[in-house]
Amino acid sequence: MAETAHLPLDPLEPRDLVAPHHDDKSLNETLLDHVWRKPGKGWFMLLGITSAALGLLVVGVTYTLARGIGVWGNNQPVGWAFDIINFVWWVGIGHAGTLISAILLLFQQKWRTSINRFAEAMTLFAVMCAGLFPLLHTGRPWFAFWLFPYPSTLGAWAQFRSPLVWDVFAISTYLTVSALFWYVGLIPDLAALRDSSKGKLQRTIYGLFALGWRGSGRHWHNYKIGYLLLAGLSTPLVVSVHTIVSFDFAVSQIPGWHATIFPPYFVAGAVFSGFAMVITLIVPARKYLGLRDVITDRHLENMNKVILATGLLVSYGYLMEHFIAWYSMNQYEFWTFYVNRATGPYAGVYWLMITCNVVTPNIFWFKKARTSIPIMWVASIAVNIGMWCERFIIIVTSLSQDFLPSSWDIYTPTWVDWCIYIGTLGLFGTLFLLFLKFVPAVAVSEVKELQLELKHAAHAAHGHGADTAGAGSLTHGAH
Amino acid sequence: MEAKVLDSWVLAEFATPEALVSATQQMREKGFQGMDTYSPYPLHGGSEALGLPPSRMPFIALGGGLTGMVTALTMQTWMNTIDYPLNVGGRPLLSLPAWVPITFELSVLFAAFGIFFGLLGLSKLPQPYHPAFESEEFRSASTHGYWLSIPHPTGTDAADVKNQLTALGATHVTMVSGENE
Repeated sequence: MAETAHLPLDPLEPRDLVAPHHDDKSLNETLLDHVWRKPGKGWFMLLGITSAALGLLVVGVTYTLARGIGVWGNNQPVGWAFDIINFVWWVGIGHAGTLISAILLLFQQKWRTSINRFAEAMTLFAVMCAGLFPLLHTGRPWFAFWLFPYPSTLGAWAQFRSPLVWDVFAISTYLTVSALFWYVGLIPDLAALRDSSKGKLQRTIYGLFALGWRGSGRHWHNYKIGYLLLAGLSTPLVVSVHTIVSFDFAVSQIPGWHATIFPPYFVAGAVFSGFAMVITLIVPARKYLGLRDVITDRHLENMNKVILATGLLVSYGYLMEHFIAWYSMNQYEFWTFYVNRATGPYAGVYWLMITCNVVTPNIFWFKKARTSIPIMWVASIAVNIGMWCERFIIIVTSLSQDFLPSSWDIYTPTWVDWCIYIGTLGLFGTLFLLFLKFVPAVAVSEVKELQLELKHAAHAAHGHGADTAGAGSLTHGAH
Repeated sequence: MEAKVLDSWVLAEFATPEALVSATQQMREKGFQGMDTYSPYPLHGGSEALGLPPSRMPFIALGGGLTGMVTALTMQTWMNTIDYPLNVGGRPLLSLPAWVPITFELSVLFAAFGIFFGLLGLSKLPQPYHPAFESEEFRSASTHGYWLSIPHPTGTDAADVKNQLTALGATHVTMVSGENE
């Protein structure tokens, strides 16, 4: 395994996109190493924890299916609660993946190549977890196909004016396109795995998934454009998916829900929580997988900048909600924002949300915080908690106390709610650990290409005698 | 079953991507047809060296997207306006603004499928067997090797092609034969 010993380890020193001592062969060894290595104790221990949590999901779902969704804490008027909170939260987490791979690819941000595979896998698994919640919330998930337009003997069609049907299309499209994007990006690396495998079984299985890819110039010719087009499609898709999720709320009349700021504010929140989740996962993973050469401090710092920017956007969303509530002088809105949320029965969650989402990201104004591993890791977890609280506040406070005090009620989650929520964390973790074991966590072919480009850039700069882009600053595109 | 056509290729490995691109260029100028390069990542100038026409991928994607758009609009209009009209709060039966989200989603979905299957179709994948895989050295093509293949018609002198490739800087020249695609 390549080491970074001779590189500056001072966290304040900007580091290269790819450690410069690598060539194709050593990159291969470094990046594919964790697939061939026998998993360590740590991996098995983590897998044990996540599988135990996955067990909770099985318990929760089985109990729900056997007894009906009455076992959840949902009541009248809080008909949507944990299930939709977690749905929105998970979808939001998924968004960073597509954003990193697609938008940064379109903007030719070279620093994305090291983290996109990782982030896309996160997207896929997060969307899978998200999808479970509305499915179970239907109460009779075995009839979930009713949501799709299919030629039914009932002679009825889906209601296409309903944001909930938009949701079905948005989420299933998102999952499908993310999976295609991820797989297309993976094909050359699967071929690399096939060709560097040692056993026959590995070679056959990776060969099967690699579809016979052999790096042909004629294939690359179409592949490059196809991949770029998929990225181009994914970009508006990300924005549309969370916009549609926000329509579920914004199209209704409940105070605290029908705000025009919702679509952009939800998208910003999604990116915010998604990038935080990437930091939460990538910080330990890059350490244990030995990926510090390709996922440098520079990457982490850039991601923290994105967290800061989207955190400010989210804060602006809160500000605007409060401003409109005051400006409209709608008494229900005013009461929701200024009285109920801040001082009502869920005030604790509200203030936790403000602390985590409005206060926390501001530490990233300081370079010291942006480049400090412990600080960013703790902050990223705080952001994840904060974004979960935000969904709780939006959904539960608005529903539990809307127009008429006679129809108010307090919502408390039951153990089944918690089982299913923790269970999806387990599902996510389990899938992620399996991904880390069987698939290269970094897009190997893209990193090799980047490495070559960086070498050319450095070479060209030297040739022209310019000292702006010497060997020490192989970081073009990262600004 | 058609009769199996056995064909052979001369495979040459080059040390760097630049050497491969320039060798491809020169071999093409000498009149060799149907060559292909193999590399772990797209070569800069590789398509030009092979003289490939512009990719058809954008048109396939556009076709997919338009198909999705038309499908979504027709489906929603027919289902909610004609076949099963639903009066919701007196809203118009043909509520085009409400059709926008699903139309967008299906356009993206169909375009993505178009790209994926278009890519497989244009590249003739999946193709788990290819004669090039007969060569054990060729396995480096997906990790760190840069290869050029030249189809070699039976009955002509392969040694001549090999010599030309070596002269252009190939570090390793070999020959494979197998069933044609």
